[in-house]
Amino acid sequence: MDFELSNEQRSWQMLARKFADEEVRPISLERDAIPTARETFDWDIIKKGSKLGFRTMAVPKQFGGHGTDFVTQALVMTEIAKADSAVSKAFSQNWKWSHLICTSCSDEQKERFLRPFVADDTFLLGKGITEPSAGSDNRLPPEDDIKAGLKLKAERHGDEWILNGEKAFIANAPIGKLFFVDARTNPKVPLKQGTTLFLVPRDTPGFRIGKVFNKSGWRFYQNGEMIFENARVPHANVVGDVGGAVRKAGGTGSDTTGGDLFGDLELCANGLGICDDACETAMRYVKTARQGGRVLFEQQNVQLQINRMFMLTEALRSYVMRVAWEHDRKIHSCNAGLAMNYSTDVVQEVTELYLEIRGAEGCQMDAHADKLARDAIIWTHLAGDSVQRMKVARRLAKFTDHRAA
Amino acid sequence: MYNLHLSPEQLEIRDTVRDFVTEQIKPVVLDAGRLDVCDRRLPMDLLDRASQMGLRTLALSEDRGGAGADHLTSCIVTEELAAGDADVAAILSESSRLGHLLFDQAMTDAQRDRFLPQFLKNDRYHLAFAGREAETETKLGVNYHRPAGTDAAVKTVAAPAANGEWVVNGAKTCVANAPIAALFAVLVQIPGQLRAKVILVPADTSGLSVSRPQKTWLHGSYGDVTFKDCRVAADNLLDDDAAVLLTGADAAGKGMPSFQALNLGVGRAAYEAAVEYAHLRVQGGRPIIEHQAIGTKLAEVAIKLEVARAIIWQAAWASDHPAAFADRSLSDLPLQTVAQVFTAEMMMKATKDAAEVFGAMGVMRDMPLQKYVHDARVCLHSGDGNTDAKLRLAEVIAGYRRVTNGARAAAGE
Repeated sequence: MDFELSNEQRSWQMLARKFADEEVRPISLERDAIPTARETFDWDIIKKGSKLGFRTMAVPKQFGGHGTDFVTQALVMTEIAKADSAVSKAFSQNWKWSHLICTSCSDEQKERFLRPFVADDTFLLGKGITEPSAGSDNRLPPEDDIKAGLKLKAERHGDEWILNGEKAFIANAPIGKLFFVDARTNPKVPLKQGTTLFLVPRDTPGFRIGKVFNKSGWRFYQNGEMIFENARVPHANVVGDVGGAVRKAGGTGSDTTGGDLFGDLELCANGLGICDDACETAMRYVKTARQGGRVLFEQQNVQLQINRMFMLTEALRSYVMRVAWEHDRKIHSCNAGLAMNYSTDVVQEVTELYLEIRGAEGCQMDAHADKLARDAIIWTHLAGDSVQRMKVARRLAKFTDHRAA
Repeated sequence: MYNLHLSPEQLEIRDTVRDFVTEQIKPVVLDAGRLDVCDRRLPMDLLDRASQMGLRTLALSEDRGGAGADHLTSCIVTEELAAGDADVAAILSESSRLGHLLFDQAMTDAQRDRFLPQFLKNDRYHLAFAGREAETETKLGVNYHRPAGTDAAVKTVAAPAANGEWVVNGAKTCVANAPIAALFAVLVQIPGQLRAKVILVPADTSGLSVSRPQKTWLHGSYGDVTFKDCRVAADNLLDDDAAVLLTGADAAGKGMPSFQALNLGVGRAAYEAAVEYAHLRVQGGRPIIEHQAIGTKLAEVAIKLEVARAIIWQAAWASDHPAAFADRSLSDLPLQTVAQVFTAEMMMKATKDAAEVFGAMGVMRDMPLQKYVHDARVCLHSGDGNTDAKLRLAEVIAGYRRVTNGARAAAGE
């Protein structure tokens, strides 16, 4: 076993740490405190990060990106998330969908979409899956209800598809320039057979952005509605086969790089950054803050809380790096999903311990500790609700069948 | 004996308050604009209506114009109110609690004649107890099982003026109800005297100022209070026992668990919202309550609520019947503290589980679940926190008796 990072991995990590310390951390609490959801975003930080390569680092070198490996991507997500989890996600969301372009799009589509993406510091990507009445049903389609799941309708008219419907809770929707959109092209068959993936540029006629969701955590990160009213998308923007969307997004066979599998790694690596932030800040705090004339760290209860925070965080780090390493070696396992579920438990317990260490003296909690706990709550529905856990369990069951055969 | 059969009066008041919450509080507080914890305006109209129903004067004895509710009844009402809105519950329970302590127990007839008519007449006549000194540490922490550091010195001073009035100077922090109180009971030190006293300071006294910092980790209405040469009448000083009356039971962890009842109400609000939503939301081909995972989660929340209510009611009943400690019917543990720790931890888990049922809607600021999670967090970390509460409990378990500064001074050390 070798836990050593290569020079290249190390230098990306250092670059991300410097960017996080110098650019992200100074704006983090200020952005978090802005009450209006539409105003929390800051293009300046995106442009600065983009110039350093943090927007395009998952794009292969042949298309002008940086072609970094998964270990590097995990390191960078963690470093930026340590300064602000939502800023880290605003960057890595682009990696998720650039991975999907690379694994699922035709060469012509790659040229057509990756080139402008790489060239423009304000070009962000998104993907619309969830709808108001279809969340868990998309993740875990019920076998006995073929109508369950997304309803956004796409009908073919010659060389165009006409899209009608609505997406909700879509990351980067208010600010993105290009979106993947899952649409039902055959309502008479189950989700997995009847869904097609489209590439929808922001300026598509009939497509607009609705409300921006006002989240309690991850304030910086924009999340909105997408509304399709006879939106016209050229057939050339169909990704893969008609009816093949769900298969593409999940990755198949030995492919571990599809959007969803990267997404699992993404959430656990990002959560690790929050934990690192909580641990480091808590340690600094308990070594300087005093109670009864003595530094907090002298207290046994504080030592036990610190121990648990670090123990959970380091266990998560081991898991995150193992998942990244497995992805780089194209080792197919269920570890990405398990690590994502685990990160939910860890990020929430660690941030709650940090709140406990801080204490709400004077009817006010430290703004930083408050923010981390609100950010951590986001993990529940993204990474650790019962559906996300059962989905991984079913993946595990299939995986063991496969191995037995 | 401890009897779980509520009286007809208790049932009636619970149901009346429950209807008030459903019909009047919820439509106002569930408005999207008020769910944002960063911008929480007090619903003064609702507080007025609650006062007209008698909830502000709930614990005041019947012969003085109140409803004469005991601690258990008060806790039942607080839970119901908090299931609607934690702020409303916090404000009313504090005015009601203090109304009983001050008007029924601490005041002389002459004092009561001066203040009670206004308290009864004016729906916005709220009460506040200014006990905690600004810039003073209250945690036990490092002083666990050690003799030092338990008597937080009272630095706010009431000095006698030549004309017999008292001149109050000092600063208090985290005073519940301060921004809306008409009358303050202030814990003060009189120069040359050994024990702290309580003095009544009307809110309109010249020199009294309340600042309300933008703080979000609280329920109700808190403020910092500054007294600068506040002159109050000679007769505003309460009886010697008032300080013990107002602080003693809570300090011993045997007071009324009203804060715990509020915390339980927060958990119940989340639970009820989750059950309702789980019936409506269809995923996986059926209402999600029909899925094992969601059903089990709701069952776990229900268990937490029931067990928390059991310990809160026990603590409330015990605080109504202190003789039950004396004759060893109850263990000599601070049941209010036991209820605090258990309820705060369980409601944190309960609100998070309830929020999970809502998926992404559970974290949106215009939806109620994030408010309940925040409210539960505020309860969990309020005051000196659960870690400290456990230390106080541990001292009782260990049989540790602290030699207080006051006792040392009395012994001439």
